[in-house]
Amino acid sequence: MKPAPFAYDAPRQLGEVLELLAREDEDVKVLAGGQSLVPLLNFRLARPDRLVDLNGVESLAYLRVEDGALRIGALARHADLERSAEVASGWPLLAEAVRHVGHPQIRVRGTVCGSVAHADPAAELPVALCVLDVRFHVRSVRGSRVLGADELFLGFLTTSLEPDELLVEIEVPAPPAGSGTGFAEHARTHGDFALGGAAALVAGEEARLALLGAGPVPVRFDGAPGDLPDAAVADLSLTGPDAEWRRALLRELARDALERAVA
Amino acid sequence: MPRREDVRFLRGEATYLDDIELPDLLEAAFVRSPFAHARLGAIDVEAALALPGVAAVFTGADLGKRARALPAGAVDDGIVADAGHPVLARDRVRYAGEAVALVVAESRAVAEDAAELVDVDYEPLQPVLDPRTAAGMPLLHDGVADNRLVTWQRTHGDVEGAFAAADRVVSQSFHIPRLVAAPIETRGAIARVEGDVLTVWCSAQDPHRPLAQLGVSLGRGPDSLRVVVPDVGGAFGSKGVVAPEVAAIACAAEDLGRPVRWTEDRAENFLAAYQGRGLDADVELAVSAEGRILGLRATLYPDLGAYLYATTAVAPHTTAMLITGAYDVAAASVEVVGAATTKVPTGPYRGAGRPEAAFLVERMVDLAARELGLEPLDVRRRNFVRPDAFPYETPMGWTYDSGDFERCLDAVLELAPLARWQELRDAARVEGRVVGVGVGMYIERAGGLWESAVVRVEPDGRVVVRTGSSPHGQGHETTFAQIAADELGVEPQAVELRWGDSGELPGVGTFASRSVAMGGSAVASAARELAERARDAGVSVTDLGGAEAESRFSSGLVFASGAYAALVEIERATGRLLVLGLAAVDDSGRIVNPLLAEGQVLGATVQGLGQCLVEEAVHDEEGQLRTASFADYSLLTAAELPPVESRFVETPSPLNPLGAKGIGEGGAIATPAAVANAVADALASFGVRHVDPPFTEAKLWSLLREAGP
Repeated sequence: MKPAPFAYDAPRQLGEVLELLAREDEDVKVLAGGQSLVPLLNFRLARPDRLVDLNGVESLAYLRVEDGALRIGALARHADLERSAEVASGWPLLAEAVRHVGHPQIRVRGTVCGSVAHADPAAELPVALCVLDVRFHVRSVRGSRVLGADELFLGFLTTSLEPDELLVEIEVPAPPAGSGTGFAEHARTHGDFALGGAAALVAGEEARLALLGAGPVPVRFDGAPGDLPDAAVADLSLTGPDAEWRRALLRELARDALERAVA
Repeated sequence: MPRREDVRFLRGEATYLDDIELPDLLEAAFVRSPFAHARLGAIDVEAALALPGVAAVFTGADLGKRARALPAGAVDDGIVADAGHPVLARDRVRYAGEAVALVVAESRAVAEDAAELVDVDYEPLQPVLDPRTAAGMPLLHDGVADNRLVTWQRTHGDVEGAFAAADRVVSQSFHIPRLVAAPIETRGAIARVEGDVLTVWCSAQDPHRPLAQLGVSLGRGPDSLRVVVPDVGGAFGSKGVVAPEVAAIACAAEDLGRPVRWTEDRAENFLAAYQGRGLDADVELAVSAEGRILGLRATLYPDLGAYLYATTAVAPHTTAMLITGAYDVAAASVEVVGAATTKVPTGPYRGAGRPEAAFLVERMVDLAARELGLEPLDVRRRNFVRPDAFPYETPMGWTYDSGDFERCLDAVLELAPLARWQELRDAARVEGRVVGVGVGMYIERAGGLWESAVVRVEPDGRVVVRTGSSPHGQGHETTFAQIAADELGVEPQAVELRWGDSGELPGVGTFASRSVAMGGSAVASAARELAERARDAGVSVTDLGGAEAESRFSSGLVFASGAYAALVEIERATGRLLVLGLAAVDDSGRIVNPLLAEGQVLGATVQGLGQCLVEEAVHDEEGQLRTASFADYSLLTAAELPPVESRFVETPSPLNPLGAKGIGEGGAIATPAAVANAVADALASFGVRHVDPPFTEAKLWSLLREAGP
């Protein structure tokens, strides 16, 4: 389980990162926490020509609250999110969801932006971010753009990020005043890949729900809290021998997350 | 007394195989078949050889007769095919992951790069997957008719008469899936040739069996082959047979004149290390209306895999021998139909045939009780081998040395406590919850054969114990020092333990929960001799500087036993199985170290629970392992461990000076039986008769849904 040969760069400035990503003759991959990429490299399922290691770019290593919004830099670790008092009080959904990400060793190294850019349908944070109306800030040598969750996640391990683009920041607005949030998931064992999950935000009679394990991307539903669990799973196109069980599981997880949100 | 070896392990000061540094060391990687069954054509190694840093590439043809297949192992009265595992495949591959070429290079990374460049022609053939129907499939081995690798049959008593006289015949078919052993340290070895002597450092359960098996494969005797076992990060049975890869790197070391290391990675371990369990079975019980078991008939269809390792036949044979469990059954007939399949071979994994036996007989007893309208515990009591019946010869022909099964059952009822669990269950059911209680008895064959020890008093009074038994997590440094210290009247700290070098001391090894009963008894015997010498001379043992005593202790099999109980709930909404409580009573004879004994119970219980909840090696219709990494194959973590209560009943074995039996496997043997009975109890009112493990959410949810609200 050794990776195929690759070139390696460890720049200190964001500009250098973007220059390297813009190389058209090479398949370039960004290395941040490496918790998804390194196993893929070791299985030789990913075979990039070049790795650009972000870990020396100090300007990307931040997690801060600015103008009421949480700003998650490209090098912010899962553990930063997990341990932040500001996140715990202002964005408890993220604090709750991040505890389901792998094990402590993985969270110390893995990054929030890396997890989002990897777009694994079993990942917790994309689903939680989905109900928080986040904005994804993307940079390249060509310029910058801002994407919503529905614009970023395209399919299984697929986003709308171009090969030369880097997800530099996730901006999470404050949840609506008086709202509550909840997260629930089911995995075979603690820290294992989730078989299903749900993130919910409830503000009075309005609720938002996003499901994990319901398809190749996080699936978002808005509606009345009481109707959402049944309504959300009714139209899911699930396949395979366990499809009906997964539908039942997702309904239960949706209920659970919504209940936590109003508790 | 706490484990004294832990300081070394926890500080990272242990020396595992991969920590060994040798000058000029080369690293190995293997080219492995992507097909479960294929004809092997030309192998082009030119591109691989041309890669800088590559020292050599070997195919099966290159090794030729220098490396014969590893020896297949026999069982008493069994017919076993000559189908040992080849060192590198020739002409045909018979499972996905089988090694077809060896690449040796300056680093493992280069070796893997080169392995990708080896071009192999495969002509895919039909895979053989189901042990029940393997006989009608394409033959895997020339000269092995019906794909039958192992045939064994034994009948005792008037079985036909018993079934004719029965008030009821209870029948059930079973499927027990394959599992991976998944030790934290994977397999591996270093081979070095100096002069005529080949030295192999091997991550193994002991040096003795690799010595014998490599000796057969490579044509070397103990005078030209030495096996050294460094610290070992777990085995659970999976390092009791030397890997064919080790014979291959030995040939490479001979040719290249440089030492060669193979450190298996996790992907290889999933694909190529032998798997455990894997058994289909049909069992029938002839019972009287009062619940007396009159006779038993069983046909076992073990899914043995592509080849026979030295111990592949042992697990199904053990299942057959123990199939009457804790019960006095006058007539029994068991047949083993051991099939070749295009999967990695099976071999011992913690329990090694005993969990299957306990699962089969304990499920059958509960099914019989249900069909007869009797209490399962009453049926057990009605059929137990009585405490005054020992030594008790089973209908299959093993002799239980000691035990008190009713006492174990009584102890677990009190420990759980079962009456309270039943109240909880009944109250929960009123609320519409799906809750069940189950009990499983077990018998664990342990010990047997012989083991060696040398106890020496150094001139400075320190005691050095050399043992033929090797630890790989068991805690020999603690328990064996205690045993020697007790006999000699010295402090355990004054006793140093040495093991793991075939050049130092012959032995049998560490498997089948035999360490204390056999290795410990050898240490006790040798130490006792020294103590007697000191007493005769009127001096203290520490005054016997330079004195040495050697022991080769042998005995028949000893039989540990026990009773486990489980309280489970199935979440109606999701089907998730929650094990709410587990009580474990083990009779392992006399306990040397209660702390380590309880550790064995807990560790084995977690693995037993894993079999119930999540573990299953799944092959698809092409014979590909679908659960080939920890992303798809789950192991339980501390977070999933329910409260486990452990207690010991001690009926000493009369067969050794310590009165010891086995402790290493009980939890893995009895837990699946107890949990399966609890699951069946929970589902009984839904019209569900039996469920095979693992008890996954999707499986249980579907059963509940089919039964309706």
